[in-house]
Amino acid sequence: MNKITLKINNKNYEVELKGQETLLEVLRDQLGLTGTKTACEESECGTCVVTVDGKAVLSCITMAQAMEGNNITTIEGLADGDNLHPIQQAFIDTGAVQCGFCIPGMIMASKSLLDHNPKPTRKEIEYALDGNLCRCAGYLKIFEAVEEAGEKMTSKKQ
Amino acid sequence: MSVTVKKEYVNPVGKSVPRIEGKAAVTGQLKYAFDVSFPNMLIGKMIRSPHPHAKIISIDTSKAEALPGVRAVITAKDTHQIKFGSNEYFFPHTTDQMALEADKVRYVGDELGAVAAVDEETALEAIKLIDIKYEILPHVVDVEEAMKPGAPQIHDSLNNIAVILPVNFGNPDRMLKDADYVREDRFYAPAAHQAAIEPHVCVGQWETFSNKITLWASSQAPFKCREALAKTLKMDLNDVRVIKMAVGGGFGGKLEMLPMDFASCMLSKKAGGLPVKICYSREEEFLASRRKHGIIYKLKSGVNKDGTLVGITGEVIADGGAYCSYGPTVLAAAIMRIFMVYKIEHFRITGYRVYTNTPISGAMRGFGGVQAGFAIESHMDMLAEGIGMDPVEFRLKNITTPNMTTINQMKLTTNGLKDCIEQACKAADWEKKQGQQKEICRGIGIGIAADVMGSKMYKSHESAGSLVKVEEDGSVYLFTGAADTGQGSNTALSQIACQELGVSYSRIKCTSGDTEITPFDTGSFASRVTFISGNATILAARDAKIQMLEIIALDLKRNVEDLDIVAEEVINKNDKSVIMSFDEAVTLSYSFKYGRQIIGRGSYNPKTTPIDFRTGEGNVSGSYGFEAQIAEVEVNKKTGDVTILRLYDAHDIGKAINPQSVEGQIEGSLAMGLGYTFMENLTFDKKGRPGNGNFAHYRIPRSLGTPPMTSILIETDDPEGPFGAKGMGEASLLPTSAAIANAIYDAIGVRIKELPITPDKIINALKEKESNEK
Repeated sequence: MNKITLKINNKNYEVELKGQETLLEVLRDQLGLTGTKTACEESECGTCVVTVDGKAVLSCITMAQAMEGNNITTIEGLADGDNLHPIQQAFIDTGAVQCGFCIPGMIMASKSLLDHNPKPTRKEIEYALDGNLCRCAGYLKIFEAVEEAGEKMTSKKQ
Repeated sequence: MSVTVKKEYVNPVGKSVPRIEGKAAVTGQLKYAFDVSFPNMLIGKMIRSPHPHAKIISIDTSKAEALPGVRAVITAKDTHQIKFGSNEYFFPHTTDQMALEADKVRYVGDELGAVAAVDEETALEAIKLIDIKYEILPHVVDVEEAMKPGAPQIHDSLNNIAVILPVNFGNPDRMLKDADYVREDRFYAPAAHQAAIEPHVCVGQWETFSNKITLWASSQAPFKCREALAKTLKMDLNDVRVIKMAVGGGFGGKLEMLPMDFASCMLSKKAGGLPVKICYSREEEFLASRRKHGIIYKLKSGVNKDGTLVGITGEVIADGGAYCSYGPTVLAAAIMRIFMVYKIEHFRITGYRVYTNTPISGAMRGFGGVQAGFAIESHMDMLAEGIGMDPVEFRLKNITTPNMTTINQMKLTTNGLKDCIEQACKAADWEKKQGQQKEICRGIGIGIAADVMGSKMYKSHESAGSLVKVEEDGSVYLFTGAADTGQGSNTALSQIACQELGVSYSRIKCTSGDTEITPFDTGSFASRVTFISGNATILAARDAKIQMLEIIALDLKRNVEDLDIVAEEVINKNDKSVIMSFDEAVTLSYSFKYGRQIIGRGSYNPKTTPIDFRTGEGNVSGSYGFEAQIAEVEVNKKTGDVTILRLYDAHDIGKAINPQSVEGQIEGSLAMGLGYTFMENLTFDKKGRPGNGNFAHYRIPRSLGTPPMTSILIETDDPEGPFGAKGMGEASLLPTSAAIANAIYDAIGVRIKELPITPDKIINALKEKESNEK
């Protein structure tokens, strides 16, 4: 057993590791943060994306052990109290959500993009989300959501 | 004490209101079966055959059972060994699969048993300790090899043909003999996978003393799953509760009970009632769920110089894999969809649904129509070219019309097909572009399609039920058996309920697909939910409304026939005067004086006739939806790469209950169609195992290169549809591959007749064309 502290959504969690648990396993199985999904567990689908120090990371291939001292944000940590994050709201407003299973990963990847580049071009969005599979929506409404959120986030800052 | 009423959501039908579970989805709070967990829950794993075809001689589970942490091991000897299937009503002999096979395995991955342990590692370790003795049998992977005399026999059917469907009308041979132009083509549309992002997952619990099962499922058809569990476990229907959680996509792959669902319940029983969770890995998903049939589609048709389609003949061979699943009806749909699209009097296509030692083919979005659409719509373009006619003109000459009965007795009522074609052509500027851009290797192509909204497939009826409850504070509940798998039926049905009840959409909550608390519904397939479950929901909301109006009529001594609830107000229908608000009406219903609960019920079964599969005759659907699609492409002749410049989709959906959801269905279908056209091809190795069974090798569309799409919604206001709506969600996928293949032909003059369309196929076809021209 190996005890570590993980900072997730601005809270510290004491976690006991048996061995080589991934961040995904710790989030879902130990901490019950089931908002993060997985669909392949081999870095092909993007469903498990969380941000680590603001960067999109595949939690299924990230060792929990290596995450001590980093700022981890999951889908559960995005809303500000009762207020949805602009990206979350934009995904609802544009109709980007169908089955919803890819959405947490999609939103976290979008967050990482928009925090670094609030006015991405369509091509930049396509590149940023290329690791996130969606089988329902055909991507167009997801792109619209990211664009709409980017605009809102920019005007909020100004 | 009243609920918040959002004015913008009054009269919600036709408005793009937000998804009812939208906030839960974007915050990670939406609960899927994948997220269901209990403190004492065990993890289950299936025991699978490593052989494509073998007799089971013996299974020794003693070592696995002795492993610390193992709580239960089951094999066929623990079960009633009852077979299940999905076309039991129409094709009883195709009920051919056992939850755990007892005598024989028929594909690599076939289930022989299951293990439950305290964690996944222990369960996987236990599987390795199971000692199974087999007598290996010869196997067959290729579908045409499987049909040859002397091929290994997979079930008790001659030449591995589970079902032959001869569909025969008129005298096509004579017509072809006299036709001005006849051509023959062979098309191939490969196996593919639904590839829903959420793999199959379930949690089963058997309360052993009260003898009750609960299955938390990822299901498109929870009531069908309940039926199969009850049958194979010899339970009453009310012993089995299937709770459909949020479903992470289905696309036909989650329409049936899988052995894993059965096994989680059996394992729970053997483990003394502890809940057992089974999650498929992505590899298992490709190996042992359901897949799309690979189909060989041969066509020989004749046309006259004036463009009249005089006769069609052909043969359809569907690779079924190891068991029948929905195969017979998929085959039927692959043959008979054409009658909704083209006026044909002379027709003969014989279909064969064939067993092979490969993963099981079943339903996938489009239900045989995608493979057929590629073949037929490519073939139609080639016929048009043969007589020198524009492909659009050719289609307009031969399409079905409103209020006609097809040769196989389908009753087409509203039919927007002509409008779809014309609107799509107008949007795409067809006349200016068709055949005009060869020098820049650009082309334009069309495909058309039609679809049912419902079809009786697995039982004698396909009714849907709904309940609408009005609570004391004016909030509203909708209970529907319909399974929202992401298409948005909870939202659309809630809109329908609120529209009929006369209230704002902000009042409603929806519970769906729980076999213990919601009414029955056959499930999410055949694009049926908006139409069939929507009609049930209207009836339930109307019933609730009448209950409220009766109390008002009684109280105010008025005629109930004079009253209505519209836009949050109870009105006098005659002079439109407002009598009271909806909230006041609720207060009156629950008053000291009346104290009456408002519980509306609705049950709807579409007015159809059963299909006679010996002849192909029957009016399978309560109405029909139509569709035209145009693709614009640019081909790089050096690399063989195809760029989609834009896709146009004009769809007769009757009435868009939620336009944003309708667009979402169209865009999602087009994306899936692009995947099937260019990259998706589930291959099998010599042992019949998936050759590319993971997301690294089985590529589905990603963000990059998503083309622009134009959705055109054609509203024909169907008299039988809820507020005029038809079903949709599958039709947009049917013509995509052909529209693209036709556009490529228009651009560079080569015809690809086998999907997927890859750069090397285009290069090879160009080379062949060049050498032919020399």
